[in-house]
Order: sequence, then C-alpha cells, then structure tokens
Amino acid sequence: MSNTTVTQKRRTLKVAKSSKTLNVSSGVFRPNQSTTKSINPLFSGKSFGSTGDSKVVDKISAQTPKHTAMVVDENGQDVTPHPLYNPDPGVLQSKQGKVFTALDTSLTTMTEFPSIAFQTTNASLTGPFTRSFFGSASASRISQTAESVTDETKDLLVKQDLSNSISDIQSHREEPKEQLRENILDSTANCYLSETETIWLLDIPAVSVSVESEDAEAVKERNNAYTELCKNRQGNDKYVERSMQTFSDASKTKEVQCDSITMVDKAVMCTVWDMYDSFNNISDVSANTVVSSERHEATIPESSSEGHLVHPKRSNQSLSVVSTVSTVSGSSTHIEKMACVLPLDEEPDLQLILQSDKLKQDLALMERVVLANVFQPKLAAYRQLPIIEDPDCVQMVMEEESWTEQSKNSHCPFLERLWDFSCELTMGRNVSCMVWNKKNPDLLAVGYGQVEFKNPNSGLVCCWSLKNPTWPDRVFHCESGVTALDFSASNANQLAVGMYDGTIAIYNVQTSEQTPITDSSDCANLHTSPVWQLTWIDHEDGLAADKGEILVSVSSDGRISKWIHYKSMECVDLMKLKIHDLQWKRHISSLTPGMCFDFHPNDSKIYLVGTEEGHIHKCSSSYNEQYLESYKAHKRPVYKVTWSPFCSDVFLSCSSDWTIQLWRQDLQIPVMGFTSGQRVVFDIMWSPHCATVFGAVSEGKVEIWDLRVSSLDPTLVNWTSPGVNPTALLFSPETDCVLVGDSEGQVTVYKLKNITAGGGSQGETLEDVIQSTLSSQH
Amino acid sequence: MKEYCAATRTHGGRSTPDLSDMAEVEDTLKRIQAQHGVIGTIVVNGEGIPIRTTLDNSTSVQYAGLLHQLTMKARSAVRDIDPQNELTFLRIRSKKHEIMVAPDKEYLLIAIQNPSE
Repeated sequence: MSNTTVTQKRRTLKVAKSSKTLNVSSGVFRPNQSTTKSINPLFSGKSFGSTGDSKVVDKISAQTPKHTAMVVDENGQDVTPHPLYNPDPGVLQSKQGKVFTALDTSLTTMTEFPSIAFQTTNASLTGPFTRSFFGSASASRISQTAESVTDETKDLLVKQDLSNSISDIQSHREEPKEQLRENILDSTANCYLSETETIWLLDIPAVSVSVESEDAEAVKERNNAYTELCKNRQGNDKYVERSMQTFSDASKTKEVQCDSITMVDKAVMCTVWDMYDSFNNISDVSANTVVSSERHEATIPESSSEGHLVHPKRSNQSLSVVSTVSTVSGSSTHIEKMACVLPLDEEPDLQLILQSDKLKQDLALMERVVLANVFQPKLAAYRQLPIIEDPDCVQMVMEEESWTEQSKNSHCPFLERLWDFSCELTMGRNVSCMVWNKKNPDLLAVGYGQVEFKNPNSGLVCCWSLKNPTWPDRVFHCESGVTALDFSASNANQLAVGMYDGTIAIYNVQTSEQTPITDSSDCANLHTSPVWQLTWIDHEDGLAADKGEILVSVSSDGRISKWIHYKSMECVDLMKLKIHDLQWKRHISSLTPGMCFDFHPNDSKIYLVGTEEGHIHKCSSSYNEQYLESYKAHKRPVYKVTWSPFCSDVFLSCSSDWTIQLWRQDLQIPVMGFTSGQRVVFDIMWSPHCATVFGAVSEGKVEIWDLRVSSLDPTLVNWTSPGVNPTALLFSPETDCVLVGDSEGQVTVYKLKNITAGGGSQGETLEDVIQSTLSSQH
Repeated sequence: MKEYCAATRTHGGRSTPDLSDMAEVEDTLKRIQAQHGVIGTIVVNGEGIPIRTTLDNSTSVQYAGLLHQLTMKARSAVRDIDPQNELTFLRIRSKKHEIMVAPDKEYLLIAIQNPSE
C-alpha cells in the first residue's frame, strides 16, 4: 500500500521511505506526527499502551509527514477522521486520532476536549517548552475554537497535550536527521538507540478508561447515567445552560492625594558594647521606659551616632533627634521633658562637673602624665632604665649629649642631680626626716620641722610621689614641728609622726584628711619633750596582744616607750635612760635625753640607743632596768646610730662632735672613726646595696664614704649651696639614688654614679675591712 | 583634750565641701597649666562647650569638637573588644605636640603639651 498517504516512517533506517506502511493491525497508531503536531488527546502515557491487540507504534518512531496524513485501518478503509474545525489555510491542520474505533461514546466526549485544551494549553505549554518550533505549534492550537467542556477534563487535557507534545517535538527533531541519512542507506550503519528514563513532566491521571479495563463497565454506566440526567433535565430550570458576560463600563479616572510620606533615614551601628550595655540596662530600666528592648537599643545608638555624648538630656541638639523618632518610646518622652527644663540650668551643670570626684582623679592623672613627659629622662635614670630620646625633640638631644659627656669622662664617683621635691608649701622649712613607704617604693614621706628651739612653727608632713615631683600627694599640717616619721609595715597606709612637743600621731595617708587616726595627746604618759625617733617594730612576743606591730619612740625626756593603740594610745616604757656619767648629771631629772635608737635587723629585742651625753647603750626590750652594754666614745650628743644591714655585728654612729664612729658590738672602743672637717654630722645611713658604703650629711656637704677605697677621706663629697645645710639623708632601697633633705625645704634626688657594688659577699667585705683595720691597730 | 576615734574620717574632714573642692580643682588646673611646655588645658562639658580653658575660644571649640569625636571612636573600639573594659586615657603624640585627653561621660579634660621646650 505504497500509495497510502500514511507515510509513517519507522525510526529504524532499514525502512525504505516509499514502502512504508504503518503496520496497523488494529488501527492503533499515532497518526499525528505532523510538524504542527496534532494532539492526540486520547493518548496519555498510560493509556497508549493499554490496548491489547493494538500494535503500538512507538511515539518516537512514527514520522510525521509534511502533508496531512490519512488513516487507514486494517481493512484499507480510509478512516481519516475529519477535523472538527478547519484551521486557517496558512496553518497546517492537526488531526485528531480516532484511536478507539469501538469507543464511540468515549470519543464523543473526548473530542470535545482537545479544542478547549488547545486554547488553554497555550500558556501552559509555552512555559516548559521554549523551543521555537513549538511556539508555532502552539499558535495553531490557539486558533482552534473551543467548546465548553467541564473543568476537570480541561485540566487533564492540558496535561495530555503536554505529554503528546513531547513526542511531537522529538519526532520533529528526528525527521531532518533521517532525511539526511537516507542517502547512505546502502551502507549499514549501526545505530544503537537507547531509551532514556521516562521524564514525567506532567502526569495527569487518565479520565479515559480503556474499554478492556476492569472499570470500563462502571465508567460506561456513569457516563450513561450522566447523559440520561442531562436529557431528563432538559426543561428544568436548574439545569439550563447559561453564559454570562461582564460589562465593562466606561472607565473614569479619579485622583487621590495623600499626605507626603516622610522618609527618614535611620542608621544604627550595632556594636558589641552597645549590645552589652542594652543587655545590662534592661534590668536597670526604670518605670519611665516601658518600651521593649529593641526600642531601647534604638534610642541609645541613635543619639551616639549623632555624635553626642550618651547624656542626651544635656544636649540641646539632640532634641531634634528625639522628635523625629516616631517610635515613641517611654524613654524618649522622658528625655524630651527633661530637655525642656534643662537648658535653663547651665550653671549648676558646670559646678557639678567641676566638683565631681572623677574630675579630680582625672586632673591628678593628667598632672602626672604631663609631668611624666617633662621628667621622663630623670625618672628613667632614677629607675635605671635606658633613657629614650624623643625623636621630635632636637633640643633635648643636645642637652643630653652634653650631660652624658660629662659623666662619661669622669670615672670617679659623683652625684648626678636628678630633680628635687619642693613646692611653695615647703619652702623655707627644715627637712627633719624622710622615710619610704614600705609597700609602695614610690611614695616618700618627708617631715618638716625645726630641730632647734629657735623658730617654733607648725610642722608639715608631705607625702610625695615620684610621679609628681612638683606637688605632694598628701599634705598634713601639724601643730608643732615634725621630728620623726615612720611608715608601718603591716598597715602600709599608717604613718606615725613624732613632733617637737612630744606628741605622736598616726595618720592614714589614704585619705587627705587632716586629722590623724589617733593621737597621743590624751595619754598620760606622753612624752614631754621632742620625739626624736619612731620605729614600728614587729613584735614576736608570745602574748597575742603583743603580736603585730608596735610603735617605739625615743624622746628627750629620757624614755623609750612602746605605744599600743587600740582606741587611744597608751605607752609602756621600755627603758628609762639613766645617766651614767656624773658629769652629765642633771638636776632636773635623772634621765638623759635619748636622741636616736635602732633595733637590730635580725633580733627585734636588741636595740641601740644614742643619748645626748654621747653614750650609746645596747639594751634589750625584755630587760628594762639595765643596759646590756655601753659604748662610750662620743663627746657630744649622738644624732644617729644605725646597724649595718649586711654585718649584724657592726654599727655606725654619728654625733655632733664632728665624728662618725664604726663599732663592732663586742668591742668597747670603736673600730674606725671618720671625720672630715669640723662639721657637725647630722645624719648617716648605710647603703642598702653595698656593705662598705655609707652616706653622711654634715654642715654644707654630703659625703659618701666607701671603706674599700679609703677610710680616711670620703669617696665623694658634694657641696651644697652656701647657707643651705643638708639635714637628712636617705638611700633608695630599690635603686642607686640618694635623697638629701636640706634646711630650705628641698629634697634633692641624686644618682650615685660610678660606685660599684663589688663582688663577693657584702658582709665579708666589710668584715675584711674591719679585720684589716683591727690588725693594723695592734 | 582632743577626742579622736577611728571614725573621725566621717566628720570634720570635709568641712566646706564645695569651696574646698572647687579650690582644689582650680589649683590643680593652674599647676598643670604652669608645667613645663604645657600649651593649654581645656575642660569641656557634655555638650562640647569648653567650660574652663586657657586657649582662645575658637581653638578651644575646635579641639573640643574634634577630640570628642575621636574619643567616642576610641571608646567604641575599646569596648568592642571587651564590653567590660572602659577607656580611661588617650594620648596623641604628634610631631609638634602631645594631646592628652581624659574622657568621661560628662566631661572631657584635654591638655596640650609641647615636651621639647
């Protein structure tokens, strides 16, 4: 049947073009393989292969002829179904397949579908299939008229169409390829075809049921019932076919205007600390802020992003900020109220700031910082740090060079003056004593008071800090001149002050209050004469009451007293200094004034006392009747006696008889005596770093003696300005600096240069010196 | 006879709070200003208005505004790293001067020093 217009082509190449007849045994095939893709709505993926005896033509295999196809069934009859409507001449017709010849009923129902489907599927079909050729296909579909169909079938048809159209496209694609290959028909080319997995793009369950399925009967019955129903209801008003049309009235333009929508730009910078603050402030939020936390967060950063401080109530400009915040939080309304009131009160604001404690602290800090800049090289020298030159300061460098050159040239020891502690408060006062704080080595307490009865004026205690050499940190005004000072070691803030009138007061240096913690004025046993020295001693007595530190004082009334203070001070006499020498016997009292004392560094029970008659007595605190030993060498009052920190047997004493004596506690006569000029020696001190070095201040000069170098002459003499007498000497325990207090109220800090500590054990060095001296004497 | 007890600190110490505090503050400000190389000191209140200054008004206002912003930024940086931390002091060393700022919530204490004089 070559003349049949069924030019279905098999997919396989072996099939000749002309001789192709579709093998349709039962008439089931795919007639619509035209490029314009006729939809066979009756075919769905499932139902296609369900016909039993029909030979199923593979969707893909059938080729679409360019011209209209004719369907011929097995009997050779032309059963080409007539199209329901004739499309435009320019558009190729699509055929409807008469698949189930036996199913007339179903066909009739079915045939109504496709047209609708054509119309409705255009949109949906163009969706997934964007190929251009298919676009033309959909156009043809649209042009077909639609009939009203029930909704449910419409949808199904849509999906059916999709599945059909897939095959259409595929077949169309195959066609050009096949035509090319026919030229090589003779050569056998092996073409391996494989089928991909079925891609279900759309799956609509079939509404058409195969005749041979089990449900066919039920479906048929339902269909029949429906048609019956339609027939019965012909005249029924409820079953009338109706169509509606909406009128589109003439359009009218109407204008509406609304208030301008104010657009506000809001920016919030979310920072870690901001979140932390808000989180912590939620608990602190008062009744004012009824707002949620988000709003609370919003108000705080926005005021800060405006560049103002967090206190918006003080800021006039922030008023505008608050007003534009449309989120009316409780806090913002509160702030608005506050802001209205405050601009009138500018003055108290100022006062508040100026009186705040924080400002004072900041001012103190600022002062120290400024001074640190000024004194930086000096402080660095003090602390034995390398002096860093400021790269921006050219002038200073030049000064430094000249300075250091001088020091480099000389190898002999000299005192390099660093700075001095002085201020207008202290000008003109005599420095009587200086003491370092036990806990903070930067804190220095200086007592100002006269040592003679000439000018009784009020005394002053200044606590200087190394960080501020221009103004003392604490100033305590005392009623009479200060003659003795000592810091407590256990309570580092307690400063004991001994005065010229015999009063002993204990101050707390933490505060700047002028009143002492306790005062000995109430005590019955108070000293009646100047207190020349005070020491805190760590008492290790067995009694619990005596444990801890006690204060011991020596005074010109001849008593060494131990002070205990609970609520008020009470004293117990440790020793009464009885006169030994008849020459000195006084008629007023039987006691000789004590000038100085020193407890043994290792044994806190043994102490030395220097008296006005020139004797030095060794006493024990547990034995207050008799001296243990007496050392007599000085002719005049002994101003200072001090144990050597390195050698426990050796002590040094100085007196107004122009001499300094070095003693060993087992020898009654001094081992060595030092004198340089006929000058009263006011103060001596062992160097805490070197056993053979000690310093002495006498009228007009400061001497540093080094026994290794010479015992006849001081190693270093530093003359003070004329008219000024150095009256106190203090070594710095941390560094190699010496502090000298003078009679004009200045405390000068010197750095000891070129005095080496020396190797070997310090004590041995000193003892060697002593031994050599002793041996040379005998 | 004077009666002293351990609790003397609570009374008698600050007899005239306002005046003595003010005097102390003024004294300290004067001392800072008198130090070697100090060009000026400014105390700025919370609004950015200088309340105590030794420089002329325009310079003071300029310093106050600029340093306030910088201090805010510095404080933000410090607290971002650790919210429990707080900025206590800020020093800016430039070729000619050193600017030192002690910030607080309510005020700003600024000192400008030329250390090389």
